[in-house]
Amino acid sequence: MDRRNFLKIFGSGVATAATGNLLNPAKTNASEDNQATEFYGILVDTTRCIGCRRCEKACAEANGLPVPDIDELTNKSVLEKMRRTSDTQYTIINRYDTEKGPIYVPKRCMHCNQPGCAAACLVKAMRKRPSGHVTWDANCIGCRLCMVSCPFDIPKFEYTKAMPRIQKCNLCYDRYKKGGIPACVEVCPTQVLVFGTRRQILEEGKRRIAADPDKYVNHIYGEYEVGGTSHLYLSSVPFEQIGFRKDLGTVPYPEYSTGFLFAVPFIFVLWPIAMLGINRATKKDDESGHGENHENKEHEKGKH
Amino acid sequence: MAGEKLDTVAIVEEKDDSPKIKNLSDFWTFLKKELKPRGNIATPFNLISLPIMILGYIFIVYRLAAGLGKPITNLNQDFPWGLWIGFDVVTGVAFAGGAYVLCFVVYILRAEKYHAIIRATVLNGFLAYLFYAGAIVLDIGRWWNIYNPMIGNSFGVNAVMFLVAWHFFLYMLAELVEFSPTIAEWLGMKRLRKILGSLTLGAVVFGICLSTLHQSGLAALMIMAKNKIHPLWYTEFIPILYFVSSIFAGLSMVIFEGSISHKVFGDQIDEAHHKHYDDILVGLARICSVAMFGYFFLKIILLVHEHAVPYLNSPMGYWFLLEIIGFVLVPCFMFAHGAQQRNTSTIKFAAVITMIGIIINRLNYTFIAYNWYVPLSQKYWPAPMELIITASIILTEIWAFRWIVNRMPVLKEPPAWARKLH
Amino acid sequence: MNRKLIYFLVSIAYLILIAIGLYGVYTVEATLHVKETPVAEPQNKISIAHTEIFGKLERPQVIFDHGKHVEAMKAEGCAACHPVKKDNVISFDFPKKVKGKSKTDAMNAFHDECIECHKKQSSENKKSGPVTCADCHNKKNDKIKIKYPIAEFDFSYHDKHVRKLKEKIGKDDCGQCHHFYSLEEKKLVYKEGTEESCYYCHDLNKKRGPELTAITKVSAEKGLTIKNASHQQCLNCHLKYQKQGDKETGPTECIKCHTGKYKTVEELSKVSRPDRKQKDRIFISVENSKMKGVPFDHKNHEMTSKTCRSCHHETLKACKECHTLTGKPEGNGINLANAYHQVFSEHSCTGCHNKNKQTKECAGCHYAIPVMDVDSLNPKKDTCNTCHSGQKEKYSAAPIPMSSVEKVKKEIEIKVLENEYEPSKFPHLEVIKKLVKISNDNKMATYFHRNAKTLCEGCHHRSNISAEAQQDTPPNCKNCHMVAYDRKNPNKTRLLSAYHRQCVGCHDQMQIKKGSSFNFEEGDRCGACHKKKVGGPAEIITMKNDRVVKQNTTNIINVWHPE
Repeated sequence: MDRRNFLKIFGSGVATAATGNLLNPAKTNASEDNQATEFYGILVDTTRCIGCRRCEKACAEANGLPVPDIDELTNKSVLEKMRRTSDTQYTIINRYDTEKGPIYVPKRCMHCNQPGCAAACLVKAMRKRPSGHVTWDANCIGCRLCMVSCPFDIPKFEYTKAMPRIQKCNLCYDRYKKGGIPACVEVCPTQVLVFGTRRQILEEGKRRIAADPDKYVNHIYGEYEVGGTSHLYLSSVPFEQIGFRKDLGTVPYPEYSTGFLFAVPFIFVLWPIAMLGINRATKKDDESGHGENHENKEHEKGKH
Repeated sequence: MAGEKLDTVAIVEEKDDSPKIKNLSDFWTFLKKELKPRGNIATPFNLISLPIMILGYIFIVYRLAAGLGKPITNLNQDFPWGLWIGFDVVTGVAFAGGAYVLCFVVYILRAEKYHAIIRATVLNGFLAYLFYAGAIVLDIGRWWNIYNPMIGNSFGVNAVMFLVAWHFFLYMLAELVEFSPTIAEWLGMKRLRKILGSLTLGAVVFGICLSTLHQSGLAALMIMAKNKIHPLWYTEFIPILYFVSSIFAGLSMVIFEGSISHKVFGDQIDEAHHKHYDDILVGLARICSVAMFGYFFLKIILLVHEHAVPYLNSPMGYWFLLEIIGFVLVPCFMFAHGAQQRNTSTIKFAAVITMIGIIINRLNYTFIAYNWYVPLSQKYWPAPMELIITASIILTEIWAFRWIVNRMPVLKEPPAWARKLH
Repeated sequence: MNRKLIYFLVSIAYLILIAIGLYGVYTVEATLHVKETPVAEPQNKISIAHTEIFGKLERPQVIFDHGKHVEAMKAEGCAACHPVKKDNVISFDFPKKVKGKSKTDAMNAFHDECIECHKKQSSENKKSGPVTCADCHNKKNDKIKIKYPIAEFDFSYHDKHVRKLKEKIGKDDCGQCHHFYSLEEKKLVYKEGTEESCYYCHDLNKKRGPELTAITKVSAEKGLTIKNASHQQCLNCHLKYQKQGDKETGPTECIKCHTGKYKTVEELSKVSRPDRKQKDRIFISVENSKMKGVPFDHKNHEMTSKTCRSCHHETLKACKECHTLTGKPEGNGINLANAYHQVFSEHSCTGCHNKNKQTKECAGCHYAIPVMDVDSLNPKKDTCNTCHSGQKEKYSAAPIPMSSVEKVKKEIEIKVLENEYEPSKFPHLEVIKKLVKISNDNKMATYFHRNAKTLCEGCHHRSNISAEAQQDTPPNCKNCHMVAYDRKNPNKTRLLSAYHRQCVGCHDQMQIKKGSSFNFEEGDRCGACHKKKVGGPAEIITMKNDRVVKQNTTNIINVWHPE
C-alpha cells in the first residue's frame, strides 16, 4: 500500500468518524439499515380491511410462529371474539361492530418513535433501530419491565418456556435488512397496509382524510399519540370505538422517567457534601483527632 | 441518661479468646467449627421452618427448569410482575431501609443512643438485600443473563432499571463494608478490623446516596405504567413517596426485628442494653411518627394535585383510604402516643401495622391497582408455589441471621481487643 | 385494662377491612365501560328530571304517568294542571307557576302542585296519588329512560289538515296555523302567501340570520320552543274540536303523534305538496353570472324532499335573495356559486346530490369516485353543462337502452392469484346490465348518466379518454396497476388490491351479500369469487432494487430470531 492510498483511507476514516456519513454517500446507498435517516412505518387504513387474516398467516410464517388456520369458516368464529396479540401471535385482526358497520382492525406493535419499552430496558435488548424498527435481542435478562412500560401492552413473555423470550412484532426487521417489506404488507390483498417512511405514510394518510372527509374521522392515530408512532391508523369511526385508548397523551413515555434520572447526578454530588458537612458539624471538640472510628469511641467512653 | 447507665457497667478485663488465624488451613478449621450447629436442633421453629424451606428449594429448582408460567406463578401477559417483585424485592428493599436511616442517624448525626442496634440493623439490611433482592434471580425470566448489565453486554445507561440494578449491587458491597468490622472481630483479625473500621464513614455516605436513589428508583420503574396504575396511586412523584415511606418502613422493621431478637437472643445482651432498649424504641417511634405524618400529608397533596379526589367514592377509593388512613395515619398516631407514654407494646403493635401497610402499598403498585380495569378472570393473585418459595426465602434469611448473631459480636459486646482499639 | 384483647380486636378489625377492601378492588367494574340505560317504551309516561335546572339529581327521577292523570282529571280538563293564557289558550307547561328562578323555587313548584292536588283529591275521597317522597322518586326509576321520538308533521298530514279544515270552515284559511311575528306591531300577523315553517322561528337551537334572530329571541322569552309551540298550536285546536264532539279530530294522547314512525320520500311522493303559488319550473339565471342558466324542475325536487326546509333552510325565499353573487351578511357571506355547489352542505344542489349518491344503489360506483368539487377538481366542460345548459327547456332524460351494452365482453377471467386460487370468473355483461337497470330506475341517475359509457367509468375509473390513443375500449386494470408492490411508491395500489378493493368495496357498499367483507353466512367469503386450489401457495411479487422479485408465501419464512 502506498502512502497516498493509506492517507486517503485514513483520512476518510477520520472524516467518517467525525461527521457520521455525510461525506460518504456511497455507503449510505449500499446498506440501508445503519444509515437509515428516517423511521419506516406502516399506515393502516381500517376502512379497507376485509378481515381475511392473511397478514396473520404471513406473519406467523415469516417469524416462525404457529401458523393459524385462516379458512373462512374458522375466520367467522375467530373474528367473533376480541383477541389480543400474544407470545405466538404478533399481529391479529379484530372485528368491531360500529354504527358504520363491521370494521376490521389489524393490531400489532405500534413501533413508537420513542418507545417506553426501549427506555425501560437495562441491557438495550429492546431497541429502536435507526430505521424505526423496535426489536428484541437475546441479551435480555427477562425482567419484563418493557411489558410494564408499554402503553399498548404489546411485549409478550413466554411464560410457559424454560428459556423464555419477549415476543412482539419487529416490523420484519430481517426482511427489511435484505431489502424486503414486512410480510403482512406483502400479502395484504386490499392494501390496508402501506409500508414506507413515516413522512411518506403520514402524508398519504392526511391526503386520504382530506380527499374524503366524510369517510374518515379527522385524526391519524399514532401521529401524536405517545410522541408519535411508526404505525399510523386511519378510521371511519372515533378511535375509541375500535379499541384504541384515547387517554395515552402525547408525551413520549421515556420522558416520564427523565425527571428521576436528572436527579441522580445531583444526589450523588449533593448528598455526600451535605452529609460530610453534617458529620463535621456535629463533631464534638474533645473528640477531635479520633477520626471516624466512633465505635471505639463509644466503648472507650464506657470504660471511664 | 443513657450515658449514666452505661457508666455503671463494670468492664472487667477479659481473656482474649478470639481465634488465631494465621493461614488458610486455620481458617478452614475455624469455619468448620463455626458451621456446626449449636444448642438444641429440634426446636419448634426449626421443625416448622425446615420442611417449608426444603419444599421451597425443590420448587425453586423446578422453576428454573420449567419457566415462570403456571403452576409456579400466576403471572400473565396483563400482570408481568407479581408477588416476587412486589413483595420480595420492592417491599423487602423498603424494609431494609432501616439500615441507611440508622446509619445516617448514628454516623452522620452522631446520635450515639442508637449505636447499640446499628450492627443488627446493618446485618439485617445486608441479608435482606442478599436474599430478597436476590430473589430477583427467580423472577427474572432469563436468569442466566443476569450478569449482562454488569459486564456490559449492552449498557442501557438511561434505563431506571439499570440504575436500580447497579445500586443494588453497590449497596450490598457498601453494607458489607459497614458490617465487615464485625466479621473481622469474629475472625480475630485485628489489623483488618482496624482498616475496615476506618472505611465505615465512607461506606455510610456512599450507602445513603445509593439508598436514596434506589428506594425511589424502585418507584421510578413504575412511572412509565402511567395509564395502567389507578389514578389514585399514580403520580409523577411516586419516587418521593417511596423514599419517604422507606424511612418508616425500615424503622418499623428495626423495631419489629429488634423486639424479637431481644427475646430470642436475650442472653447475648447485657443488662444495660436491655434497659437502654426502651429509650431506643421511643426514639425510633418518634422518627416514624414524624416521617409518617409527612408521608400522609404528601399523599393528600398529591391526591389533590393529580385531580384524583373524585375516584375516592369507589371500591378502589375505599381501598386507598384504608391504606392511607388505616395503615398510615392510625399507626402514625399510635407511634406518637406510644412514644409519649413510653409504651413499648403500642409502639411494637404500630410497627406491625405499618409493615402491613407498606406491603399493601407496594403490592398496590405491582398488581392490585395495576391494570385495575381488567376483568376478574384475568386478574393476578399469588399462586401457592409463589407463596411457598417466598416463605422459604424469608426463613432462609432468618436462619442466616440467627447463625451470624450466634457467632459474631452483633448483639453481644465486641471482644476486648476490639474495644480497646483505636 | 386488658391491652392484649384490644390489640387482638384491632387486628381482627384490620383483617376484616383488608378482606372487604380487596374484595371490592378485585371485583371492581372498570368505569371505562359505562352501561347505557335502554330507552323504554313511552306509554304516555313522562320522565320528569329537568337536569337542565337541577343538574345532578338528589333523588331518582319521577316517572309521571300522563295517560292516567288525563283519565282521572277528565272532568276538570287540561286546565287543572296546565296554565291558561289569554283567549283560553292552554299552554302545555308544568307546573303552572314558578315563583323564582332558583332550583328550590322550581322544586317547590313541582312539589306544591303535585302534592296539593293529591291531598285535595284524597280529602274529597277520590282516587289519589302518592304524597311521600319515595313513592314518586322511586329508585327503580333510575333504570328507566323515556324519550319520545320527534313527531314529524309531513306533507301527508299537511295535506290532510288542509282538506279537513276546508270542509269545516268552508274555505282555505292557512292562518289557522301559520302566522308571523311582526317586530313593528309586536304581535302575530298573517298574510296569505307568506306561510313558512314553524321551525324558522321556534327552533331555538339553531343559529339564524339577523332578522330571524330578533324573532327567535321573542319566542325564547315566551318559552315557545318548538316543543311548546307545537303542543300549544296542535293540542288547543284538537281539544277545541274534541269539545265540540268532533270524533274525527286529531289525537291528544302523547304516543298517537309521537309514534316514531316516519314516512319515506317514496310514500310521500303520492301526496300533493302545499300550494304557495310556487312555479313548477324555474330557469335559474342570474344577471352578470359567468355561467349559463340552469333549467330547474322545482316540482320534481319537491317530490324528492321530505320538507321545504331541506333546501330552503332559513326562509322560503329564493336562494339568490340571501346568497348574492358576491355574498352578503344575510346569506352568512356565502355567495351564490357556493350556495349551489358546496359539496358538504345539506342544502346545496351538489351537497344533496352527493348525499343521494351515498345510497346503496349508487355507492357501489360512487364511493370510489371523488366528490365533485368545483374548487379542487377542475371539472370538465361537459360536467358543468349537464346542468348549466343555458336552455330554458329542461333536458328530457332518456333511459340508457339495453341494446347499447350488448357488445361488451360477456365474462372475464381474472388470474392474479392463480397459484393459490382457481381463476375468478367475472360476469362482466351481467353486472353492466344490472347497473343500467339501477340507473334507469332512478330519476337523478337517468338525468346524469347520459350514455352507457358513463357507467363504464364506475370501474374503469380515471381514464382520460381524450388523451388515449385507443379510444374505443376503456383501459384495463393492469394498464395502470402494477403486479408488484412498489417500495419506492408505496401509495400506488397494486393489481391484487385494485381488484379486491374494487370488487369487495362495491359489494360492501351495495350490500350485496355474495363476496362482501362482512358476510360469513355463505361460509366461504373468498370462495364466492375464486375457489381455493388444493395446496397451491400464493405468489407474492415485490419490487426490490427496481427488479421484480417473485416468492411463494411458503418461502417468506425469514425468521428473525436472535436465539
